[in-house]
Amino acid sequence: MSLPTFKLLRPRTVEEAVGMLHRYQDEIQICAGGTDLIPSMKQRLFSPKYLMDIRGIEGLERIRVTPGLGVELGALTTLTAVEDSGFIHKHYPVLHEAVKTVASPILRNMGTMGGNICLDTRCLWYNQSLQWRKSCGFCIKKDGDLCHVAPGGKKCWAAFSADTPAALLCLSAEVNIASPSGFRRVAIADLYTNDGVNRIKIAKNEMITSIYLPESSAGYSGAYKKLRIRGSIDYPLAGVAVALKRKGNIVEDAKVAITGVNPAPHLVPDALHALAGREVNEHSAMVVGELASRVAKPLTTSLLTPEYRREMVRVFTKRAVMAAAGAEFSI
Amino acid sequence: MKKELIELKVNGRRHEVAIEPSKLLLDTLREDLGLTGSKRGCDDSSCGACTIQVDGTPMLSCTMVAASYQCDNGAHEITTVEGVAEHGALAAIQKAYGDWGGSQCGFCTPGFMMTVRALLQRNPEPSDEDIRHSLSGNLCRCTGYTQMYQAIKAAILAEQKGMARGNERTEEE
Repeated sequence: MSLPTFKLLRPRTVEEAVGMLHRYQDEIQICAGGTDLIPSMKQRLFSPKYLMDIRGIEGLERIRVTPGLGVELGALTTLTAVEDSGFIHKHYPVLHEAVKTVASPILRNMGTMGGNICLDTRCLWYNQSLQWRKSCGFCIKKDGDLCHVAPGGKKCWAAFSADTPAALLCLSAEVNIASPSGFRRVAIADLYTNDGVNRIKIAKNEMITSIYLPESSAGYSGAYKKLRIRGSIDYPLAGVAVALKRKGNIVEDAKVAITGVNPAPHLVPDALHALAGREVNEHSAMVVGELASRVAKPLTTSLLTPEYRREMVRVFTKRAVMAAAGAEFSI
Repeated sequence: MKKELIELKVNGRRHEVAIEPSKLLLDTLREDLGLTGSKRGCDDSSCGACTIQVDGTPMLSCTMVAASYQCDNGAHEITTVEGVAEHGALAAIQKAYGDWGGSQCGFCTPGFMMTVRALLQRNPEPSDEDIRHSLSGNLCRCTGYTQMYQAIKAAILAEQKGMARGNERTEEE
């Protein structure tokens, strides 16, 4: 299938790029790796007048370590580069685990960290061809005013389907956002809206330029578990990230985040409460699983049933907590 | 939309083509440059039949805008399956695919060639696990993959012997 026609813009600096975003606000889309946007453009989910390819901007594709502060990942750093980084593997294992589950190796060569954070929400009724969507009378997220998932509802429940933001939530990461008036830094935890349509709090004239992993999050052990239909590719239909800090066997700090089930990734509240001051065992891991499944609100946005996905959040959280603690577990 | 003149470097040669700015790299390779080796399979980046290399890295040409990959400052050297043969002779991996039945209907083969080539360039002695992992983004509906793994191992062996004798079958077989 061909793409809708557009004019290609290739800025060389961040200033030039935000200038273009400011000028063409409603008619422009940012394209980095293109792995999310271009298939969607083929389905006519986006038909921008201008496509801004930002890969030519210098300095956004790097992993820079600043002792005492942490790590800065440029927004254009490919997922493969993060996966291959020994430093990330050693100090931020939960991010390493999450990144290596994204799509397939070839897509990770193209996809970027910034793109993964900005990934569009996904739904069975949305990620379809124009003909398909038209036949069903469209939906709230694109071109229509009804929701097939929650009939009568006015809210879009399309699921946030990126893997790395769950890990970034566990690491208390922040993003640097450029706009015509300068830069601002936002915690990943404050970036998403839980609304399937306007999923992310980034204005039309803004773009993410880098991601910060604080040094205080380095050294947490971590695990990421993901439910998908095809093991080698596919977006998460449920994803769980866990980061643990332990002294001996006793948990000092714990962060658990889920993705792929709600319109935003979420930290699981009270996960620390369930684990702090104790050893990780099957029982405490199971309690955290229960807490996580209460946060999960999947609807029929995918081919798997919501009940199954919610149950898998519970099971995968338990497994991820056990794996992060390096513990043996039966199921 | 008006066509624009762009320059692509494909298989070591520079080509000037006049294309629409929204044209996919896959279509540009196939229609404007006549390089029909790269195939359109799923068209939504799940199957890998359109895999090419850009500066040695495998990427999916069905998900790339051609004008984004203009050759500038030495960047964006594109390699397609047509550029794999060395001096007019099949590369070891191509020969081994033929000898070992790594290819049946052949539609996915050019994509696999590009992925395998990138793997072997990066890691000349991959483990079974490395091979399976690196091929996990390419789909084949004929072979069941086993013959491909055999072909890849044969090609590695042939390369190590310094000549492309991928058809030499070993005793274990």
